[in-house]
Amino acid sequence: MTILGEFALWMALPISFWGMTMGFVGGRYGRGDLVLSAERSVYVVFGLLLIASLGVIQAFLADQFQYWYVANYSNRELDTYFKIAGLWAGQRGSLLFWAVILAFFSSIAVFQNRRRNREFMPYVVGVLQGILAFFVVVLLFAKVNPFERLGFTPPDGAGLNPQLQNYWMTIHPPTLYFGFTAFSIPFAFAIAALLTGRLDSRWIVVTRRWTLVSWFFLTNGIIFGMRWAYEELGWGGYWFWDPVENASLLPWLSSTAFLHSVMIQENRGMLKIWNMSLVLLTFLLTIFATFLTRSGLIESVHSFAQNTEIAMIFLAFMGSVLAGSVVLILYRLPALRSENQIESFLSREAAFLLNNLVLLGAAFAVLWGTIYPLVSEAITGQAVAVGPPFFNRVNIPIGLVLLALTGIGPVIAWRKASARNLKKNFLLPLLVGAGVVVIFLGLGARDGYALATFGLSAFVLTVIVVEFWKGTRARARIEGEGAFAALLHLVGRNRRRWGGYIVHAGVVMIFTAFAGSAFDREIRKVLNPGESVSVASPFGHTYSLVYEGISSSREPNFDRWVALLSVEKDGKPQGALTTERRFYRVNRQMITEVGIRSTPLEDLYVILADVEDFEGMVTNNPDAQRIVVQVMVNPLVAWIWYGGLIITVGSLIALWPGPEAGPRSRTARQGAAETETDLVEASA
Amino acid sequence: MPMKNGRFFVGLGGVALVVSYLVWTGIKDTMVYYLTPTELLAKVESDPHFHEVGVKVSGKVVSGSYSRLQGELLHRFQVHDIEHEQVAFWVEYEGVLPDTFTDDTEVVLEGRYGADGVFRAKTVLTKCGSRYEAAPEELKHPAEIEIRS
Repeated sequence: MTILGEFALWMALPISFWGMTMGFVGGRYGRGDLVLSAERSVYVVFGLLLIASLGVIQAFLADQFQYWYVANYSNRELDTYFKIAGLWAGQRGSLLFWAVILAFFSSIAVFQNRRRNREFMPYVVGVLQGILAFFVVVLLFAKVNPFERLGFTPPDGAGLNPQLQNYWMTIHPPTLYFGFTAFSIPFAFAIAALLTGRLDSRWIVVTRRWTLVSWFFLTNGIIFGMRWAYEELGWGGYWFWDPVENASLLPWLSSTAFLHSVMIQENRGMLKIWNMSLVLLTFLLTIFATFLTRSGLIESVHSFAQNTEIAMIFLAFMGSVLAGSVVLILYRLPALRSENQIESFLSREAAFLLNNLVLLGAAFAVLWGTIYPLVSEAITGQAVAVGPPFFNRVNIPIGLVLLALTGIGPVIAWRKASARNLKKNFLLPLLVGAGVVVIFLGLGARDGYALATFGLSAFVLTVIVVEFWKGTRARARIEGEGAFAALLHLVGRNRRRWGGYIVHAGVVMIFTAFAGSAFDREIRKVLNPGESVSVASPFGHTYSLVYEGISSSREPNFDRWVALLSVEKDGKPQGALTTERRFYRVNRQMITEVGIRSTPLEDLYVILADVEDFEGMVTNNPDAQRIVVQVMVNPLVAWIWYGGLIITVGSLIALWPGPEAGPRSRTARQGAAETETDLVEASA
Repeated sequence: MPMKNGRFFVGLGGVALVVSYLVWTGIKDTMVYYLTPTELLAKVESDPHFHEVGVKVSGKVVSGSYSRLQGELLHRFQVHDIEHEQVAFWVEYEGVLPDTFTDDTEVVLEGRYGADGVFRAKTVLTKCGSRYEAAPEELKHPAEIEIRS
């Protein structure tokens, strides 16, 4: 099976090149037979890469340590679950994984559009096969072949990094990779639109949906990564502004910008060049993120040897994509001319534009902060570090502006907002926001940024709730439906809009959770059995933890020490909590497994920071059972996970296929009232 | 964007300027020097003001130098330059050490090097495989890999 996988990977090389060439040639000369062959080659490449991936998994499951990749990322005792996840545990496997997911999405896109968008398909296939060919070349020739053999068979593997042996780590990378790869489809359609010169709304319709697919996976991938960091890294936080985290944030920011600015193009025929550029930028950023995550370029500055082959080949790829796309955009410049102009600062167009600028400003700040150490060292020779203080300082104010726009954008009028429109839509939300700030001031909160976040969150949520309420009421009145039926039909009639509002509500929850971190509490203490530690939570509760004792055991892949603490909240017993340390024998590495007691408002987070004597536990000598714990109370962290769920629900509503999925022609909508709110306005 | 209305370019340019200003001053105010112990000691020698400046230093823990003080909440160890082993200083750190910290790991410290010759670390990170994968090994040629059994 593994041999077959290796063979399949080699076979994918000529076939992806064939598909790329036939796509472009067939499209250029109108040869339907060549185009058909190119389209079918996409399915074939998917099949081949799938066989290759299964080959790698098979090598893991069968403990075939003669393969370099398996020997370095697995060992006999490793859980089967993590052996399967070994496919994306390291650089080599994850590049193959990237390619197979892209081939999967490409097959879906080709199948969906083979009739609908005939004129685009040759070039779409050509571009997608080109990207696939690039990854296959990297896999085979850049010293990252997952099928490379060691030349001997070691008795056991080096084991998987214990920090990766966590549930979230098995789903976080694939989800992120789904997001990265799905964006190749919008890029392929953008290039096809430029090549064919068909720059009307057709390519936008396909692109928009695939961008949302990509955005949905990216968002969840990032949140899963936060969850992993929070549970596994054991320092109480979920985001560190690490280069690899930043890399995943960049395409998220630019695709979020695109999802908004595309609405201006659909409604007002503006920003065509801008949207084209955002698609190109986002695609480059997904490649950049893959490159940064898996080449170790930035971290390597002070520690690791670089794989220069892969750095060069990625840079060359990104450079040629950039150059080619810019030339195409310039060539089509006349066709991308705007149909309208912005009329007022107080308009939805202006709000969306500002949203775009702010999102790209954030992306620029994150990118610059991430690569600044490289740039600085190259220019001045002096190594420097840019860390969380920079990213927080720049991105918190930007984030607050963005949060405000989340409330303003959806309800401010197109073209030019009247004083009446502003008052009607914003008076109540502003009052609610201000009220929330006053309440929190009264409760003693003094952190300016946190207060601003709470106030703005309340503002945005009120806007969303009022929109839902007005829409439902209008529909109930006009159609004579009950409130619940009216709400369902309302959302069903314009899934994209109402789904978008639900996504906004989820984003607001996550922002609120970020602000909650301003109120974290922590205490560190040495404990002997029977001693206790207390910590006051920002919500006014007092947690007391009594250290009951520690036990040790030997598991198949690791030794573990588990400290047992009984928890009381305001004097009421809450049961027991364990926090542990594990020693993974094969990796010779110690890791902390944090004890978390999560409630909707705050998490009790207990780290076993130190154990007096790892040998002495069995003797029950109380002195040997002395431990150091760090107890933290992290308010609102759970809201990030809830917010993620709400975003998932909203995205799925917006993505769900239905009458809304087809192209929304502008002329059709000009005749009818656009939205339910307009109906209300008309009936008022 | 072919908008004839010049006001909008002024508005957009304003946003771009504000962001650039935030980024520029942000880098200037928060950036720290990333030094080796040798570079740090040389800097402090030439400019005593450097005792007050936060820096980032990478080095290696001196084997056997690690101990816990003050009821075990304070970690104390020596760090030496990776290339010049004789260049070393004491480090004090109050907090949770990373899981991968051992008595001879490579570490990255952030903090201040006091006038008393003790480096007070705000953060301690270990370099090897601290987060994603065993990168140093990953990039070696297979023949150089030592497989642990």
